Amino acid sequence: MAHNKVIYGLYNDEEELLRAVKVAKDKHLEIMDVYTPFPVHGLDPILGLSESRLHIAGFIYGALGTLTAFLGMTWIFTKDWPVIFGGKPHWSVPAFIPITFELTVLFASIGMVVTFYLISGMGPGVTNDYLDPRITDDKFCIAFDEHDLDADSASSFFRETGAAEVHAKHL
Amino acid sequence: MRTFEFTNRLRITLLAGIILGFLCLALTWFSGTDDAYHTRFWSNLLHNSAFFTMIAALATFFLAASITAWAGWYTVFKRVWESMGLFLIVGFCLMAFLGLSTYLGWNHLYHWNDPASVEIDTILQGKAGFLNKGWYFFGTLVIVGAWVFFALRFRSLSVSEEEQGADDDFKVHRKTRVYAAAFLPVFGFSMCAMVWLWIMSVDAHWYSTLFAWYTGASAFVSMICLTILILQYLRGKGYYENVTTEHMHDLGKLLFAFSIFWTYLWFSQYMLIWYANVGEETGYFYTRINDYPVLFYGNLIINFILPFFILMRNDTKRKMGSLGFVAVIVLFGHWVDYFQMIKPGVDHTAHEVSMLHEGGHDAHTKHIGHDDHDHGSHDTAHAHDDYGHDAHSDHGHDAHGDHGHGHGGFKMGTTIPGFLEVGTFIGFLSLFLFFVFSALGRASLTSAHDPYIEESVHHHV
Repeated sequence: MAHNKVIYGLYNDEEELLRAVKVAKDKHLEIMDVYTPFPVHGLDPILGLSESRLHIAGFIYGALGTLTAFLGMTWIFTKDWPVIFGGKPHWSVPAFIPITFELTVLFASIGMVVTFYLISGMGPGVTNDYLDPRITDDKFCIAFDEHDLDADSASSFFRETGAAEVHAKHL
Repeated sequence: MRTFEFTNRLRITLLAGIILGFLCLALTWFSGTDDAYHTRFWSNLLHNSAFFTMIAALATFFLAASITAWAGWYTVFKRVWESMGLFLIVGFCLMAFLGLSTYLGWNHLYHWNDPASVEIDTILQGKAGFLNKGWYFFGTLVIVGAWVFFALRFRSLSVSEEEQGADDDFKVHRKTRVYAAAFLPVFGFSMCAMVWLWIMSVDAHWYSTLFAWYTGASAFVSMICLTILILQYLRGKGYYENVTTEHMHDLGKLLFAFSIFWTYLWFSQYMLIWYANVGEETGYFYTRINDYPVLFYGNLIINFILPFFILMRNDTKRKMGSLGFVAVIVLFGHWVDYFQMIKPGVDHTAHEVSMLHEGGHDAHTKHIGHDDHDHGSHDTAHAHDDYGHDAHSDHGHDAHGDHGHGHGGFKMGTTIPGFLEVGTFIGFLSLFLFFVFSALGRASLTSAHDPYIEESVHHHV
C-alpha cells in the first residue's frame, strides 16, 4: 500500500454511492475500495465481492467449543475428579448440555472476532492509515488507485456521479 | 392481482385425502384393533384435531404479532396466513365435538373425566376446579370461539382494505392493528389454557409450566413448514410471482430458528425434571424413554438435529429443494411430537379406567399412596398398581418391576404411529389444505392496498 496515490470521492448518501458504484462498474473502472460508515445493503453484489468465509471459521470454532466442553467435562467428571452430584451418574449428559452450549457460543464468537481482526489488520495498539475520518461518520467514499485510473478521469467520474468532495492522498 | 383458482383436480385430490383419513379413522373404531373404550380412535381424533387447530391458531397469532410489530416483509403472502387462520372454524367444530364427547362421557381420554377415579384420587380432586368437563367443553367453546372471531376479523378487514382501495389515512389498517394488539394477550393466556386442557391433562397427575410454550413452539414450526410448502406449491403453479427467494429465505430462517427454540423449550423442560428428580414429574419422561424410545429420541433427531444441520447454511434456505425437504420432514416430526405428547397418557388412562371398572372392588377403600413406587412420590399418581396387585394381577405386570408404566407392551397405533394414524394425518392435512385453498380462492392472493405492500415486494435480505 505504501506510496500509492489514492483519489477518492465522498458522497453524502448511500443511494448516490450505490448509483456511482454501478456507473463505475459499467465503465469497467477499477475501484480500489469503497468505505462506508455502516453496511450498505446491496453493495456487495454490485462490487462483485465473494462471500465471506468467516462463517465457516465460525462453525469450526463452534465445533471446537462443543468438543472442548463435552470432552473436558467427560474427563473431569468421570476420570479426573469424579464427584456425585444429587445422586446423578458421573457422566450426566443433560447436565453437560448448558455448558457445552455456552462454550460453543463463546468459542465461535471470540474466534470469529479474533479472526476478523487479524484478517482486517486491526487490533489493540495497531494504527491504520485512513482516507478521511468522516467515512466512519456520515460520508460514503469510493477510492481509486492512481495506477488504475488517472486523476483527470477520476475527477470527471466523481463530478458526473455527484460526489460532494474529491480529494487525493498518499497512503 | 391474481386470484387463486381452486381447480377441480386439486379439489378431488384433497377430497380423496379427506375420505382416506375418514376411512382410517373409522377403521380404528371398527377394525377391532382398538380396546373397549376406542382409545385409539379418540386419541387419533384428539391428536390430529389439536395439532391442526393449533397450527391455524398459531398462523393467526403470528399474523397478529407481525401486524403489531409493524413488520412488512410477509405482506405479499399474508393471505396464506389469513386463510390458515380460517381453518380455526373447522378446528372449532372438531374441538367442540371432542369437548361435547368429553362432556357426555363418550370417550375415556382423560383420567380426570372418570368420576370413579376422581373419587379415590386426591390429586385429581385437587385439580378438579380446572380439570373438569365443564371447563373443557365450555372453555373450548368460548376460547376457540374468540380465536375464530379474531381470525374472521383479520380476514374481513384485510379484504375490505383492498376493496376500499387506496386510503391515505390507512383507516382499515389502523383498525386491524387494534384488533391484532388485542388478540396477542388474549391468545397468549388462552392458548396455554387450551393446551393444558386438551393435551397436558391426558397425563392428569403430571404438569409442567413450560408445556404450553413447548406445544405452541411445535405448532409454530409446523405452521412455518406448511406455509413454506403451500407457497412452494402455489409458486410451482405460477401463482405468487411476487413471493421471491428472499421471502422463502426468511421463512427458512424462521423454520431454522424456531426449531432451535422448540429444542430449547424441550430441553428446558426435560433437564429441570431430570435434575429435580421428583417422582410425580419424572413419570412423564420415564414412560416415554422406556416405552417410546424411538419416538422420544427420533423426535429430537428429526426436529432438531436435521433442521439444524441442513438449514444452517445460507444456500440451503434459499434452495427450494432443501427447504421443502426439511419442511416436509419437520412437519411430520412435529406431528409425531404431538403423538408422543398424547398417546402415552391416553393409554395409561384407558388402562387405569378399565382396571377400575372391570374389577377393582376393593379399590375404593384403598389408600392411593403406595410403597411400590420408587419415584419418591407419596400420595400421587398411578393408582392402578394397587388394583393390579390383588384384584387383577392377570392384567399383565409386576408392579414392582415396571414402576407402573408400560402396560401390555407394544401396541400398534399407541407405541408408534401405524398406517391408520398416518392415513388419518393425511386426511386431516387434506382437510386443512382444502380449507386453506378454498379460502385463498375467495380473495386476491396479494392485498394490493396494504400499506406495507411496497416494502414486501422489494423485500431483500
